[in-house]
Amino acid sequence: MEKYKIQFFPDNKVIEVEKGATILSAAISAGIHINSSCGGDGVCGRCKVIVKKGQVASLPTGRITLEERKQGYHLSCLSVAQSDVEVEIPKESRLDSRSISEDDSYMLRLKGIFSEPVDVDKGESVVSEEFFIHSPLATKLFLKLPKPNLDDKISDLERIYRVIRAFQDIPVLQTGIANIRRLGELLRTSDWEITVTLGKRNGTTEIVIVEPRDTSGRNYGFAFDIGTTTISGQLIDLNSKKILGTKAAFNKQASYGADVITRIIFAHEPDGLEKLHHVVIDEMNRMIQELTVEHAIDLNDVTCCVCAGNTTMIHLLLKVDPTYIRREPYVPTANFVPVIRAAEAGIKLNPRGLLGCVPGVSSYVGGDITAGVLACGMDKTEKLSLLIDIGTNGEIVLGNKDWLISAAASAGPCFEGSGVTCGMRASKGAIQKVKIDPATFDVQYETIMKVAASGICGSGYIDIITELLRAGIIDRSGKINGSLIHKRIRDGEYGKEFVIAFKEDVGTTGDIVINEMDIENLKRAKGAIYAASSMLVRHMDLSFDNLEQVFIAGGFGTSVDMANAIAIGLLPDLPSGKFFFVGNSSLIGAREIILSHDALFDADAIAKQLTYFELSVEPNYMDEYVAALFFPHTDLAKFPNVRF
Amino acid sequence: MALELVKEKWSNAVSTLTIGAIKEEGGTRQKVVQCGGEESLPFLFSEGKIPHRPVIAMEILDTPPDDWPLTLTSALGSAIKNPVEWAIKCEKEFKADLLCLRLAGAHPDAQNKPVDHLVKVVIDVLKVTTIPLILVGCGEDKRDNEVLPRCSQAAKGEKILIGEVVQDNYKTLTASVLADGHSIIAQSPIDINIAKQLNILITDMSLPHERIAINPTVGALGYGLEYAYSIMERARLAALSGDKMLAMPFICFVGYEAWRAKEAKALVSEFPSWGAELDRGVTWEALTATAFLQSGANIMVMRHPKSAELVRNHIDELMRG
Repeated sequence: MEKYKIQFFPDNKVIEVEKGATILSAAISAGIHINSSCGGDGVCGRCKVIVKKGQVASLPTGRITLEERKQGYHLSCLSVAQSDVEVEIPKESRLDSRSISEDDSYMLRLKGIFSEPVDVDKGESVVSEEFFIHSPLATKLFLKLPKPNLDDKISDLERIYRVIRAFQDIPVLQTGIANIRRLGELLRTSDWEITVTLGKRNGTTEIVIVEPRDTSGRNYGFAFDIGTTTISGQLIDLNSKKILGTKAAFNKQASYGADVITRIIFAHEPDGLEKLHHVVIDEMNRMIQELTVEHAIDLNDVTCCVCAGNTTMIHLLLKVDPTYIRREPYVPTANFVPVIRAAEAGIKLNPRGLLGCVPGVSSYVGGDITAGVLACGMDKTEKLSLLIDIGTNGEIVLGNKDWLISAAASAGPCFEGSGVTCGMRASKGAIQKVKIDPATFDVQYETIMKVAASGICGSGYIDIITELLRAGIIDRSGKINGSLIHKRIRDGEYGKEFVIAFKEDVGTTGDIVINEMDIENLKRAKGAIYAASSMLVRHMDLSFDNLEQVFIAGGFGTSVDMANAIAIGLLPDLPSGKFFFVGNSSLIGAREIILSHDALFDADAIAKQLTYFELSVEPNYMDEYVAALFFPHTDLAKFPNVRF
Repeated sequence: MALELVKEKWSNAVSTLTIGAIKEEGGTRQKVVQCGGEESLPFLFSEGKIPHRPVIAMEILDTPPDDWPLTLTSALGSAIKNPVEWAIKCEKEFKADLLCLRLAGAHPDAQNKPVDHLVKVVIDVLKVTTIPLILVGCGEDKRDNEVLPRCSQAAKGEKILIGEVVQDNYKTLTASVLADGHSIIAQSPIDINIAKQLNILITDMSLPHERIAINPTVGALGYGLEYAYSIMERARLAALSGDKMLAMPFICFVGYEAWRAKEAKALVSEFPSWGAELDRGVTWEALTATAFLQSGANIMVMRHPKSAELVRNHIDELMRG
């Protein structure tokens, strides 16, 4: 296959591609961002590039004017190189937001992504911990087998089965050939005292591991939430149900694309799927490694893990091609993934340990939502409930035990602390509560674990915007009042900015600030979430007032000031008693499932029951969204209790 | 049995905007223009009061326009070379209700005229005319923020209508307008939500809502007129139903839009089947205007004297009920 070199300016990066690859895909492979909202379908016309040197072949498009064509403009998604080429990416194709150079915004987006896993809050279940019967995905059983003799000469394997069935009535038991091969010697060298790990695999029970002696006291598992922006992992003692530790880190896939669509496109590149798969399992393995070392646990005693994630993330985790998720009619390869061996997906636990994935609903409603519904007990309650997951994909579920409907609002990652100048995850050192004195503009804040501030997490941003509005520092469209003169207000690279903490006071390399671009991003995120919730509620001929409980999920802080979240228009204006903050509901759901097989059955039922409401084809969504791009909302009547 | 028409009952009225000030009020106008105030949808006299008729403002430029078609410039004559003469002509000859002076020459890409010169044009136009004035900048935010506050100051007392402010640039001009007693044009890009957001932002700066006119941005016949029409209609329905932040009168830059249309300015030699260009251009502007009268427009900014006359006669008829 012929290969061509494509050089991109002004990045001055060269990448070699196979003949037939589009300029856009070459840029993605090179890690260069070109705007493309249609994902390379030649529809949006945002990916214009100028060919400076060399030959390209382009499909015809109405998106390039005659004048532009003369200047060498091409749509990068419709153009393939015919020789080595030099391509300039003009300003308009590099900018997602005006006035920032693309390099900056790209770096900004990646800022903080290459971070160590850090400890985060474990998340409390809303439903009682005793709700599901304790029956972990993998259970260890210590067995003292009677030695065979001439009167009792059933085979070794049947001998084990017989003893197991004496404990519990398990009609279907199976064992892999690898275990059978070792069995004869193992039983005799361990004096017939062994520990078997029973795994629940798709309706049958498997003897997953056979070990000498009694190890039944040491049985651990991992629950994972694989988010587009954040990966969280939790080490659980499967015997005591105790959570030993929880860590979170940004999903490094973000360097191949901030959202699922660009990652799906990237997966199509040579080695793309491989790369996306590897960065996610590497991060998971690293968390497993760190947590087991911290708690002095032998990796061999980690017998299973359960992952909840959106459909694309699960495909990538399992190295399944996600291409068809974004192609009409948007069908994923699998929503219900059988329990497999973790090693098959590259997850390093006990080599024979199991991996379960929380079932998903559709291409755009994944197992993370199923897990969230489960964690909130929405499928068990009479009460009309709304679950809002304030994550990158902003999923929303409405319903109760009789019906469940979901929608997804593409909110972006800023409430998770990504894509905002001084954003960080809700972990040690993150500013999570803020007060601003309306007279002096003095800032009082509280950080997680009360150490020196190193950034701002989602709940901190919610407080900051509310306080800036209250103090009159920003107007309701989020612009900083330029006529105010104060040491905290100044012109920055990305519009005006307000200093939350000066570097001298906190010892960071730069001041901790919020700028107009951050506020704009946060405004869009909250607008998308509010608009989607409001559309979904209205679609069911209901109003927010009909809701009896609203669950708020997301990794944006250990505590959120609900009144402030209402004040900025992120959440509907309802009495505070109706809101329940559940934290990472996807992780909690994954934990329920690893601890109880009943929960997995319930998750299956939820995934089958949940219907999906596609917002993108709703003509009123855009209108609803623009109306929500205001603090708190353009229609102030929707927020009667909000006053600044 | 006689047919009983269903009458809509509205809870709110459009706010009343007053442009211009007579001597007793601190200005030099001979009369003021009031617009808005209606309690019903356009021309439905049986449903509510319609106290003020829609008005026509004739548009003049500080600099001779270079992209206006001959059908337009020839009707205006040599007056277009001088804003003062042009203004007199619009008042005396064309019987305009108001003047709309656009400071096109302020644009950095045009002539980037000095502020003092532009202020003088405003003062001169006010001096030679007796009808109220609408003043519009060049549309370049930075330059408008420099020029318009000075003009606002110079016209203090005259209660002119100044524009335009947009969501990303409203503070400077709103502050000037507030201080100098004028009113403001709030422009939004054919978007009811942004229109409302901008009005909230402006009133948050304590400019009373009676001193705001909405420019919803319109399109000419064949160029998105229906879209603009429906946005205006929605805004007006919301206003009459009680939404004060959308209850401002509309100003529509009909002339600007209509005379950009190819159908309005193409020569008969290029498109013989389209008919004489004069009739075509005038009709295009007049038809665009009459459509927006039905969606609630209160101030029509127009260019051609003939189409202005047609629309004025049409308004006369409509106001007879």
